[in-house]
Amino acid sequence: MTEPLLKVERLRKSFGSNEVLAGIDLEVHERDVMCIVGPSGSGKSTLLRCLNHLEKPTSGIIFLRGEPIGLRWKGNRLHEMTFDELSRQRRRMGMVFQGFHLFPHKTALENVTEAPIIVKGLRPDVARAEAMEMLEKVGLADRADYFPRQLSGGQQQRVAIARSLAMKPELMLFDEPTSSLDPELVGEVLATMRQLADEGMTMVVVTHEMLFARDVADHLIFMDGGVIVEQGDPKQVLTRPRHERTQSFLARVLPEAV
Amino acid sequence: MSKTSERVVSGRPDIHVVKPIPVRSYGQWAGAAVLLVFAALFLKNLTTNQNMQWPVVRQYLFHPDILSGLGMTILLTLLAMVIGLSIGIVLAIMRLSSSPVFQGASWVWIWFFRGVPPLVQLILWYNLALLIPEISIGIPFGPKFATWDTNDLITPFSAAILGLAFTESAYAAEMLRAGIQAVSSGQVEACASLGMTRSQTLRRVILPQALRIVIPPIGNDTISMLKFTSLVSVLALPDVLYSAQMVYARTHQTIPLLVVATIWYLVLTTVLTFGEHFVEHRLHSGTPLSLREMLRRLVVTVPFRRQKEIAS
Repeated sequence: MTEPLLKVERLRKSFGSNEVLAGIDLEVHERDVMCIVGPSGSGKSTLLRCLNHLEKPTSGIIFLRGEPIGLRWKGNRLHEMTFDELSRQRRRMGMVFQGFHLFPHKTALENVTEAPIIVKGLRPDVARAEAMEMLEKVGLADRADYFPRQLSGGQQQRVAIARSLAMKPELMLFDEPTSSLDPELVGEVLATMRQLADEGMTMVVVTHEMLFARDVADHLIFMDGGVIVEQGDPKQVLTRPRHERTQSFLARVLPEAV
Repeated sequence: MSKTSERVVSGRPDIHVVKPIPVRSYGQWAGAAVLLVFAALFLKNLTTNQNMQWPVVRQYLFHPDILSGLGMTILLTLLAMVIGLSIGIVLAIMRLSSSPVFQGASWVWIWFFRGVPPLVQLILWYNLALLIPEISIGIPFGPKFATWDTNDLITPFSAAILGLAFTESAYAAEMLRAGIQAVSSGQVEACASLGMTRSQTLRRVILPQALRIVIPPIGNDTISMLKFTSLVSVLALPDVLYSAQMVYARTHQTIPLLVVATIWYLVLTTVLTFGEHFVEHRLHSGTPLSLREMLRRLVVTVPFRRQKEIAS
């Protein structure tokens, strides 16, 4: 079996005395799409944010292609990375947020070219050409010169996806990417994500969109109370959940049979 | 069936046909009349009062001494603002640092320079030699490599710059801190997820947004600074005010020369106000305002316009 792209071992995270993640182990293989579902407060977003150390784990290690995230050996001593060392690892994992977080003072195109130019040192004309390709891919080439406030929520989120893709990440993390969108705008973002999955992008997606999880995910994880309660093939988990907690969650979010 | 659902009263015209009479604001009219009377009195005084000595004002308005004073006022304002803002950015970042030593140092600086009046500071800096006779570079508590006589370093000009810039730095720091905190934490996270370093995040994303937020207060501060520079006349530094004072000390034409200084201050503050509107609008929408639109915005304030819109 090949080495997993991302491996999480014994991950724990507490905020003060509140333990949000109580020991998580998981593996994400190349070209896999993993969806994480669960009730709010189950720790799924925290788990995702720990993967690129936006939250520093209380204990446990995340490996990206075998390299520990945020940690570095110097001889036999293990050191914490500085922020700038960590940023070298972070750029390998794209992230899409619930609240988009586009740069409001830059156009859609500039949002996409910013990191490639200043982080990777790409020539501006090369970066622009690549950015236009990315905007094309998410179907927004005609909105390149618009500012975020002139775009709908769905369009903003697609620009955010293009912005992450422009860094040519090895995997993409999605933190409830459609949760702050009007219902009629959810579809366009999910379609973009589905297209990415089809192209073979490795993805970890925290979501409430059960149909997306069923149709696109290779692996589904159900979390509750800071632990993985159940995982496996999405159709299996969604239609024949084995655990009582999974069953009651699905009964609440899936009024009709999937 | 009648033409309208309104109860019919004989003699009244159809409610759909007549145009209602607009609300009459008698109070506003009365107030305006009083103000106009005052304005007329003021204008009459301005034009007919012989003590104004308009010919003298005209004679000195573009006098070389006054113009060089004007240059000094502009130079002081510019330098004090540039140095003050630069120190202010550093102070604001220190205030938001996770190190308590940086936080504390920044707090003490802001506490001191916001607390001591600029006039007191100017005099204090000018007399620094009495406190510290010489300034040297070297290893603290160790050998000195170079030493200067404080009296050679502190001129009226450098004392003025120190006092004004340090005062500004304290105000600028608090403004910038508020501006930086107003930028959402999501922006920082987005930058981190794209692999930006701390300084890239600050320079490319946080500061550009924070500066947009603090443009109006910085504009206000610049106008205040322009007026604060008149304090330097106590150091006998020839700005507009001191140049005017030197003339009237000689000629005893006190009022006309103060009018000259007043005119120049008003001209400069007006230019600055226009400049601020220009920059602010440019930052917000990318396009500068037309002169007409700027004038309209200067005179008609936003809440008042809103009120009118709601009423109409």
